[in-house]
Amino acid sequence: MSTTVSPPAPAPQSGRPEAPDSRLRQLPALLLRALLTQRIVLLLVLLVAVVATFVTLSQRNYLTAPYDAGYMSAALISAVPLVMLGLAELLVITSGRGGIDLSVGAVVSLTSMVFGFGYGEWGWPLWPSILLAAAFGALCGAVNGFLIAYIGYPALITTLATYYAFSSLAIVVNDQQPISTQPIQEFFSAARSVPLGGGEDPLQVPLGILTFLLPTAVVVWLLLNRSTYGRRLYAIGTNDVAAQWAGIDVRRTRFLAYTAAGLISGLVAVVTVAQFASARPDAGVAGSGMALPAITIAVLGGVAITGGIGRVAGVVLATLLVVWLNAGILLAVPGNAGSQFQLFALGTVLVFAALLNGLTNRRYGRTG
Amino acid sequence: MSSSTLRPAGGAPSAGQPEHTARARGRVLPFPITGQEVVLIVVIAVLWVALALTTPAFLTSGSIVPLLVAMAPVALIGVGMTVVIITGGIDVSVAGMVMVCAVVVARAMVESGAPLPVAVLLSVALGGLLGLANGVLIAYGRVHAIIITFGTANLFRFLGLQLFGGTTVDNIPGTLAVFGRGEAGRTLGVPHSFLIMLVVAAAAWYYLRHTPSGRHLYAIGGDADAARLAGVKVQRRVLSAYVLTGLLTGLAACFVIARGTSTLAPNVGAGMELAAIAAVVIGGTSIMGGRGSVLGTVLGALLVQTVTSGVTQLGWRSQLASLFVGILILIAVGADLLRERTRRTA
Amino acid sequence: MSESQTSGADGASTPPPADRSERLSVTGVSKRYGAVHAIRNADMTVRAGTVHALVGENGAGKSTLIKILSGAADADTGQITFDGRPVTISGTAGAIALGIATVYQEPQLFPDLTVAENVFTGREITRRGRVDWSAQNARVVELLELIGLPARYATAPVSELSIAEQQQVSIAKALVGNATVLILDEPSAILTDTEIEVLFGVVRRLAASGVAVIYISHRLDELFVIADEVTVMRDGQTLGTWPIGELSVRRVVELMVGGALEDTPPEHRVPDAPPRLVLDGLGCEGEYSDVDVSVRPGEIVTLYGLIGSGAAEIAETVYGMRRATSGRMLLDGRPIAPSSPRAAKRLGIALLPANRKAQGLFSFQSIAFNISAGHLPLLSKFGVWMDRRRERQVARDFIQRLSVRTPHERQPVSAMSGGNAQKVVLARQLVERPPVLVLAEPTQGVDVGAKEEIHRIVRQLADEGTAVLIVTSDLAEAIRVSDRLQVVRAGTTTVEFGPGASQADVLAAAAGALEQEVA
Repeated sequence: MSTTVSPPAPAPQSGRPEAPDSRLRQLPALLLRALLTQRIVLLLVLLVAVVATFVTLSQRNYLTAPYDAGYMSAALISAVPLVMLGLAELLVITSGRGGIDLSVGAVVSLTSMVFGFGYGEWGWPLWPSILLAAAFGALCGAVNGFLIAYIGYPALITTLATYYAFSSLAIVVNDQQPISTQPIQEFFSAARSVPLGGGEDPLQVPLGILTFLLPTAVVVWLLLNRSTYGRRLYAIGTNDVAAQWAGIDVRRTRFLAYTAAGLISGLVAVVTVAQFASARPDAGVAGSGMALPAITIAVLGGVAITGGIGRVAGVVLATLLVVWLNAGILLAVPGNAGSQFQLFALGTVLVFAALLNGLTNRRYGRTG
Repeated sequence: MSSSTLRPAGGAPSAGQPEHTARARGRVLPFPITGQEVVLIVVIAVLWVALALTTPAFLTSGSIVPLLVAMAPVALIGVGMTVVIITGGIDVSVAGMVMVCAVVVARAMVESGAPLPVAVLLSVALGGLLGLANGVLIAYGRVHAIIITFGTANLFRFLGLQLFGGTTVDNIPGTLAVFGRGEAGRTLGVPHSFLIMLVVAAAAWYYLRHTPSGRHLYAIGGDADAARLAGVKVQRRVLSAYVLTGLLTGLAACFVIARGTSTLAPNVGAGMELAAIAAVVIGGTSIMGGRGSVLGTVLGALLVQTVTSGVTQLGWRSQLASLFVGILILIAVGADLLRERTRRTA
Repeated sequence: MSESQTSGADGASTPPPADRSERLSVTGVSKRYGAVHAIRNADMTVRAGTVHALVGENGAGKSTLIKILSGAADADTGQITFDGRPVTISGTAGAIALGIATVYQEPQLFPDLTVAENVFTGREITRRGRVDWSAQNARVVELLELIGLPARYATAPVSELSIAEQQQVSIAKALVGNATVLILDEPSAILTDTEIEVLFGVVRRLAASGVAVIYISHRLDELFVIADEVTVMRDGQTLGTWPIGELSVRRVVELMVGGALEDTPPEHRVPDAPPRLVLDGLGCEGEYSDVDVSVRPGEIVTLYGLIGSGAAEIAETVYGMRRATSGRMLLDGRPIAPSSPRAAKRLGIALLPANRKAQGLFSFQSIAFNISAGHLPLLSKFGVWMDRRRERQVARDFIQRLSVRTPHERQPVSAMSGGNAQKVVLARQLVERPPVLVLAEPTQGVDVGAKEEIHRIVRQLADEGTAVLIVTSDLAEAIRVSDRLQVVRAGTTTVEFGPGASQADVLAAAAGALEQEVA
């Protein structure tokens, strides 16, 4: 806010010439501003702090196992579905009008079964099976997109309803039985780690990072930052009335966002089947499900729930932060309690980030 | 020329006015039952009749009592959720709250033999405290409710899992059997938990419909800024909505323990946030805020449970029930959209 | 300022209230926003039981004065007396406590609550903690009778009422606190003629009951039906207060426009060519009818109309946001009926929307984003990948051509001034050099310098052969930029003026003075 509603007030300091060191003195304020307004900066700082803390703890032998590059790399296996679904949420939340997708986990479950049928039962080759999963996921997303964009259903309710419907179908379709035939079990190899780089002790990286996560992140990044579709998506999310006046097909753009989210969920289904070596009917909805963590990651990554703001880098960094924080906690707090602290970390960071968003908006206005 | 209204917008007092005045005195609020609620009642009635005809066992107490006991906690949480959604918010942390309250109460009963009043008070107070945390963050942090409650949902789950300590709570005494499905949980054949839920729902209905602060909740959901200009204490009211949800969720946790076995597993409460939201939405409360009723929510919860029970009664896969619940949600909201649209173009 | 005691314009119909004492008086009030004097030394005295009109051009200071009276802004200097006592109005609550109630143009109501509830929200009548519905209802029925709505409306949800009725409810809401001063801010702008009649009935009844009504309006003909006294503002100053009987529309217009230099625009020779865009007897049910407009290439035609005149809706029709229900639209002689903005753009019609914030800007996105948003197929390879170099080039070109003041094209538009932001939205319309350019309120909320620049740009576009149709409610703008000017009033095109028309004539025509007065 820069409105100066000051009458010719006899302000005592107004006439003072600007001190030469004032720029220097402003530096902390500028840094604070960058930290508060640039989510990427904040996440980077937090990420460095988390990694530095655990590496230090590790070197002083406070942890049950070394927190090193190898460990951090292995921990990334859990980042694969998280980043991908976070990106799916990025797309739909950015489309605005209360955009959200609670059904991604259910789509993962249902598509897991479809993939299991194709690859495990019908004996389809791998690639057509993956295509089938992607197409089927996209179809599920298209159902959401149609109801939301063309009929005008609220996104929260629509995806709640389809969450119920898809997860029910996933269980019913194979009579509650997982599919774990020979090809599916062998597909576990897709979740193995591969050496990266040469040398005596190459870094072991989960294969899913290279085959699924990176391609998806790159494609979504290209879509958002380099394609005309990305422009349309940000436009409708920022101001869908203005988008309509600018001649953008608002409904189609929003429809496609949900379809793309479904497609990504379909790919996550393939990843999940590989990790479990089994197509499980509750793959995406077991426990607290996959949707809530994905939305959490997206919001933590700086995606504005009101639409129009959100970056791929934010989602990736938020996931790394959470995954490496979790991995560290697992070493610091041994046993079962460690995995519970992950929830604590996720919740605290999310509430903290949300409050920070509120504060930032009030203090600096709305920014990307 | 004249755009929309067909009503007499007469500048001069119309001839019919005395009659209108008389009618206005007779009824001072819109009819207490909305169209959607009537439809729900009819649908539930039709389902019950159909189920009674196809499976004779349906109308026996062996089938109805579990149905009512099962729906009571969802409806109870749904009542709180209705209040929250009317203000334009949402609370997805209730499942975590159920977990925390349930494990605390269960352990209190197992380890220190807490008697019934202590157990209930503990659970309700704990729920109220968790709701207070949500309310403070949402009302004064000025952050969208869905984000905050996603965050606190994780925190509550963490808290719950910590309290479970990696195992189940076993050998829970029958202290809470008074809310259960057994003989101790019934008066004249009607489950106590269901009766208590009805009393709470009636009180909430009265609060929402007849007290100034209840009406203010609707105003806040309709237009929070206009409400503030009109002198409504917006933050305090919003806070109270989340506290209320917490209190009711605490009570619901007792029902959840009572309807289960003597073992409490860490998955307790899972999915209840979505079930409660589904009941609210099917009951006709607008997710945009400003409109809705407790009666609809209770009917919504009853319909969902009827469908769930019906599916098992018919010998179908029980999971098929959620498919129907999903479809029900779409139909209920679709009907609402259609009504809005016809009203706007009329 | 000398003022004669008035006896009321329509004294015949309403019995003169016994007491016409000074209710609210403002003397020497000033208010500055930064360097801008919004009002200087304003004086106004409003009497009980009268309707006091406040008129002036956009930016004359009316809304600032109203803000001060309603407690939404503080005066820098000056004195306000209420019932003879000096008062300070602190906040909107303070104004309401004094008995000064304001009804804004857009009703601030809760659509799902009943009329009675809306009226009483925040000050419910209770009995033992419970809302006393029958007491509230009885009071609302009284109020509804006073404002002329049927009593049964008390229990109807507000969403079932028409806009006009909702506004009446807003008035009832203002009155429930026993207001003795009622400020109506352009209440007629969104109403149809019949609805205005109803409103007038309400206002008269209120005045007769002793309320002092301050009535702000752009439609000068209304004043002669409803007002007792008129205060005219110009350039932040009050010129004086006159009894309505001493004024005519013509006289009010002259006061409003004042001795402002009637700058005669330089003559332009519009090339003789067949018209590019023709609206032939165009009509849209409920909005406008029998609109005849033609624009030649190189010509700037202005539709001048006050808010609610139908001019804005005509522009929307040309751009495919609204379907015409009668008449024809011709582009280069061929009939067209664009069904969406995209269809209109394909035909070569661009439109600068009237509401920059709501319909134009993608606020936290960059300048380049804002400009390219309407031209993604053009600024991309195969319609899929953004051609970022061209996008940047186009943005930089326009930043230079339209002298947008910004360090670079990556700047978010939310940080820009109104004039600069408007240039960005304008640039979006110009990227594909549309043969037809429609500009709705092109300089609303834009400072004087940027206004001139935008006018210059528009003239240049016309000189390059664009057919320009401007829709505006800004009188000076309408006269300065247009080659031809048509007045839109009550949903149809009326009088046409050539270049150099006098402001007074045009305003009088738009405000609905009798024909002979115009001539």
